[in-house]
Amino acid sequence: MSLGDYLRLLRARKGGVTPLEIEAATGLEPGLYRYMEQRYRAVGDDASIQTLADFYDTPFDDLRWRLDWPRKELNRALVAAAKAKTPITLYLWDGRSLTGHVAWWDLGAIGLTTTPGQLQVVQRHAVERWDPRAPEAPDEEETEDVEAED
Amino acid sequence: MADNLWAIREQKRISVAGLANRAGLPIGLIMEYESGQRSIDPRHLNRLAKALYVEDSDIRLQSDPRPGAPPLEKQARGNEPPRDSAVSAPAQTAPRPPSGSPPRGRERGARPRPDNRPPPPPRASQVSHFNDVLVRLGKTEAEIEAVLGKPVASLNRVEMSELLKSLQDEVRKTSAERHRAYLPEGVDSYESRYLTSLVSSGQPVRFSLFDGSTVEGKVTGYGTYIITVQQEDGTERTLNKLALVSYARKADAEAQAGDQK
Repeated sequence: MSLGDYLRLLRARKGGVTPLEIEAATGLEPGLYRYMEQRYRAVGDDASIQTLADFYDTPFDDLRWRLDWPRKELNRALVAAAKAKTPITLYLWDGRSLTGHVAWWDLGAIGLTTTPGQLQVVQRHAVERWDPRAPEAPDEEETEDVEAED
Repeated sequence: MADNLWAIREQKRISVAGLANRAGLPIGLIMEYESGQRSIDPRHLNRLAKALYVEDSDIRLQSDPRPGAPPLEKQARGNEPPRDSAVSAPAQTAPRPPSGSPPRGRERGARPRPDNRPPPPPRASQVSHFNDVLVRLGKTEAEIEAVLGKPVASLNRVEMSELLKSLQDEVRKTSAERHRAYLPEGVDSYESRYLTSLVSSGQPVRFSLFDGSTVEGKVTGYGTYIITVQQEDGTERTLNKLALVSYARKADAEAQAGDQK
């Protein structure tokens, strides 16, 4: 689960407090929390993550590692695996791992062919890590940063 | 309806510096756009719109000056060019340092540039982009140089910018569809199609939930955020997709579980 997805989950557990209220309570720069939660790329630094860890009463490390596994990186890994027709392993929230070829993916889910004819549908927000990661894109700056809708 | 840039920015509670940072544009340029001193460059419009979470069409290209605000040029020194004057405006409102003290960073940046200075060489990003465009067009540098009548290496930054514009137009004409980095991230039709096939086939499906439990049954309906399942005992259960980790046809799930053992 990316940092953005995890922050959204924590916010829901806290009773649906709004990003504006969180920014007001923590002193984060206006708009930063919303960016951290909704942007598909990694947004935030150690200082802002520490602030949110304190706010949510969550260990810093439990938030920090997720910054390196944003949704955009998962997209790239899926693209790379699909193009190369190589298997990808998804490590899931519940401790399971699934290995297979990418049949499809979209905004919310990934279709993984684990063995011929067998399809597992994985919800994107349940993916913690994956292997292999895609190499850095040379035109990273020009790629589109898709924004999640509320 | 389009609104002034400064009005949208203030509505979003973003500072000029914050907007400049998000959009990757100089602060002085943002100030010039907001004061109406210059209309927004079409190349910057989308960056500003994205930074403000609005559509391009929501931003008025030529902003009206903010009511009661003095014209930007009056805040600046003498007859400097508009862009420099905008950059130096904040420095004018701050107390002046005592004479003899070294100039501060912002003031150093506001020094007038001699007009007769030749344009700088192309940026590294321009050269990199040029090479990328060549690959997309399937052309060589020699072919471009033959058209230009001079070596690409002799181009300055402005000339390289013009060349890139023309090449990008060529790329757009030759591309069958708009380049999108990571399709199909922007759609949710694949899962919908799969769920439709599950509804019509009536095959039992096993769902794994975040709380570690599983639910089995036939999919009788679904929406953007939910899936309705008819369980073996005939009861219906609506599952929120956010509560799901994964799901598969029951036979596939059992085979998967067998493989993992």
